[in-house]
Amino acid sequence: MKNLAARGVNLVETKMSVGFTVKKKFVAALICGLIVLGAMVGVFGMTGTALALPLGGMGDFYVQFDKLEGKGFEMLPQIGETGNSDASPMVRNKIEEATVYNLLIYKDLKLPDGKWIRVNIKGTQPTEIHGLIQDARYIEANLQFSNLGIHEKNTDDYTKNWSQSAEKVTITNAKIVTDYLFQTMVKLQGAKISIESIDKPETIN
Amino acid sequence: MGKDKAERKRIKAEKLEAKLQKKHQKLENAGKFKLWRNHRPFWGATLSVLAGLLILYIPIQLYAIAFVPGSFAFVGFLFGGLVLILGVLAYLYPQFSTVLGVIIMFLSILSIMGALGGFLFGTIFGIVGGALCIAWKEQEIPHLPDQSKESKESNHLIDHSEVASTKSTT
Repeated sequence: MKNLAARGVNLVETKMSVGFTVKKKFVAALICGLIVLGAMVGVFGMTGTALALPLGGMGDFYVQFDKLEGKGFEMLPQIGETGNSDASPMVRNKIEEATVYNLLIYKDLKLPDGKWIRVNIKGTQPTEIHGLIQDARYIEANLQFSNLGIHEKNTDDYTKNWSQSAEKVTITNAKIVTDYLFQTMVKLQGAKISIESIDKPETIN
Repeated sequence: MGKDKAERKRIKAEKLEAKLQKKHQKLENAGKFKLWRNHRPFWGATLSVLAGLLILYIPIQLYAIAFVPGSFAFVGFLFGGLVLILGVLAYLYPQFSTVLGVIIMFLSILSIMGALGGFLFGTIFGIVGGALCIAWKEQEIPHLPDQSKESKESNHLIDHSEVASTKSTT
């Protein structure tokens, strides 16, 4: 009898849980995700809008434009990294809203074979920017401010030591050597990207 | 028509059960890690954690301006951090894997704002990881221990005891 019981116990059905992936659900979820991603990228692409666009960590690059009309301007001292140094004195320009006419951004790059090329990004239509932050090493331009104010503060923190702010700013015929650029939102409609070979890189010290 | 459908459903269910039984048999001799992995959406959670780290990469590089008012880099921090935490939660609370998967996918796509989606790799990993979490399921299956082994063992036991009992009676 004992043996029979033992045999009976051995044959009792036990329940075990096994984790697995339901293929149909996986494919459906993946397709839904990719459709939403495609729709989002499509909307940004059609309107030429980019959100939170950072450009930096690659050394000097040049920003040129015919005219910039901006609101909510602020200039602060800044020390930042450039292509040649870990800490270089700069100015940080902040503009809440800006419209730039004939914008040209270019960067000179050295190819592995020793030749130089220039990558150009050109805005053929007015470029709208919100939340611009730019660290510049060199500025060559005609500047016009309205309600300009300079504020000084007795502090050891160099970023708060002095600041310059203006309600409106108009910059014309500008050439700016930039090391860092960040835009919360940029509408670069009719952008043209081109690459040309050059003899040697542009240098401004 | 109705019979055909029912038949197809039955065949599918049988196939699934056979697959699960096979998987379970493999797990019988598995180590601790494999057993732990079996009870959670392991690959979904792992891809989600990876996506979170990739999404966080850009806001970490921009930490200097991340807390400037109106800066979207702060949003990147938030999205990347949340995807990372939800990935870890998928390991700890597998019963909520579907909800966690949906949120992971949603945040990974939104992370294009503020973190460029971890150069898009973070977004892609987040979508795949989230989909794996959504599709993960744990099912109880009736398990009969390996009958061939069992029968051999039980026969062996019976033979022994029967011999013993015959001995005692004599």
